[in-house]
Amino acid sequence: MSHVDEGTLHAYLDGELPSTERAAVEAHLADCAACRGNLTEERSLRERASAVLGSARPTERPAPPLDQLRREPKRSPWRVRRSFAWAASIALALGVGYYMSPNAPVPAADNMSQPFAVAHQRAETNDEERDKSPAPPAAPSPARAPAASRLLYEQRSARPENEVARREAPRADSAAKTSALGRTNAAAPPPRLFDSLSVEARVASGAAAESDRLAPAPAAGAPTMVVDGIVAQKLPATNWPVISRRMAKSILGEEPVGLPGLATRRFRRVPGTEGTIVVEQAIDSSTVIQIFQQPAYPYDSTGSGYANEGRLRVRGNASEQQARERGNRLFARFVKGLRVEIMGPLSPDSLNRLLEQVAPLPLP
Amino acid sequence: MPDDIAEVYRNTYPALVRFLYRKVWDAERAEDLAQEAFARALVHRPENTRGWLFVVAANMARDEARRAAREKRHLTLLKSEPDAVHSSPEEDIDAETRTRRVRAALDELTPRDREALLLWDAGMSYDEIAAQTGLARGAIGTTLARARRRLVEAYDAGQEGGQHVARG
Repeated sequence: MSHVDEGTLHAYLDGELPSTERAAVEAHLADCAACRGNLTEERSLRERASAVLGSARPTERPAPPLDQLRREPKRSPWRVRRSFAWAASIALALGVGYYMSPNAPVPAADNMSQPFAVAHQRAETNDEERDKSPAPPAAPSPARAPAASRLLYEQRSARPENEVARREAPRADSAAKTSALGRTNAAAPPPRLFDSLSVEARVASGAAAESDRLAPAPAAGAPTMVVDGIVAQKLPATNWPVISRRMAKSILGEEPVGLPGLATRRFRRVPGTEGTIVVEQAIDSSTVIQIFQQPAYPYDSTGSGYANEGRLRVRGNASEQQARERGNRLFARFVKGLRVEIMGPLSPDSLNRLLEQVAPLPLP
Repeated sequence: MPDDIAEVYRNTYPALVRFLYRKVWDAERAEDLAQEAFARALVHRPENTRGWLFVVAANMARDEARRAAREKRHLTLLKSEPDAVHSSPEEDIDAETRTRRVRAALDELTPRDREALLLWDAGMSYDEIAAQTGLARGAIGTTLARARRRLVEAYDAGQEGGQHVARG
């Protein structure tokens, strides 16, 4: 046999030579030092190529259960999967929250990074309330919960200036929750999934103008928000550190939650907060919702108890409250041990309905 | 009865994600597409599930590339905001740089060589690669030899040109 060409050597190394040809190649190699040299060379080339390719690989995450694909959740209306009646029980609680407001009206035409007014609520373990049967799935949004759920918000102006400053300092690099990710792109082709929601997303960017009006004017300077009494600098959420799911789980102490039917784009850690992570999920190629979550009662190193402290900080009055509620774009509920909030460029109703479906993400 | 899809899913999903990743260069998107391909396989029940999946995946990746081009502005905006601002560890930056370099090196290959190489790396046999690419089976070894050589050469050239030398 004549010398072995490079293609045959690769086929040989790949174990893809038919047995007769393979035997001939091996016989030749035994006699031909030149071809053995080539073989060594090609072997190392093959290994290098494989290593180069292997260095560009996605973080391997286990596949989601096949039966989830079987249902083709991405194509089915999300409503069919609303089965978490127990979920609505969150609404019945005393809330305390933060309120984020853009400091200046953003032109409605700029729909790339439209901020939304948000408010979050923290349910309280009020036995009396909890003992009531869970509300039906179509329960009103937390923001429109019964009077028992007195939603009181605090805002920057309600806090002594020095305290704000004290709290602000260590949080200088904190990021505000913003729906900057929930972008819409009018030039994009019609989204395949969640059509009605994404159409709404485009419309919703206009709705933010309303929240601008409702929002209290921040003192001055850079956009700020108040998170549990802490004034935070507003930074695009896209700058928050991306973490792995495993990391998210270890921060939360349990599996992160989200909408099981939606593609999970990434997990992020919210800077400047302890134990808050964000799950970003795509409704379509240009609409991303963010699901904020943190342990319901994180340990408070001051010993005062997070939830307790939260209640003590409540400020506000009824008319303020009503105004806030109209501007709400962020809703909260408890899922197992987590307090979960949802944000995105969708109407409050849609966000609320999505929130009802939030559940621990299926194990990949 | 066509292949047991559950079995194929178990064995092939990571390879399909990897295959797609090297076409769309977005891990989440690659997973989405891989899952979409399997979801379609569940509906279509092809005879040769694995081969079918890779054909479908390659088509989806191509569509994705076209769509991405249309949405370029949007994507550029997203990607131009680096995640590294806050606390991205060293190795993440290294990984990003490496990925960029591998991507650039793969771009140096002809589409057919690249396809053969990616399919091989995804665990396809020469027979399967031949069926998918239309190449003669006897030409696969030569194609792969050429693809590997070009990949390594382009990668090394990129590394010399780069300002940051990482472990190859």
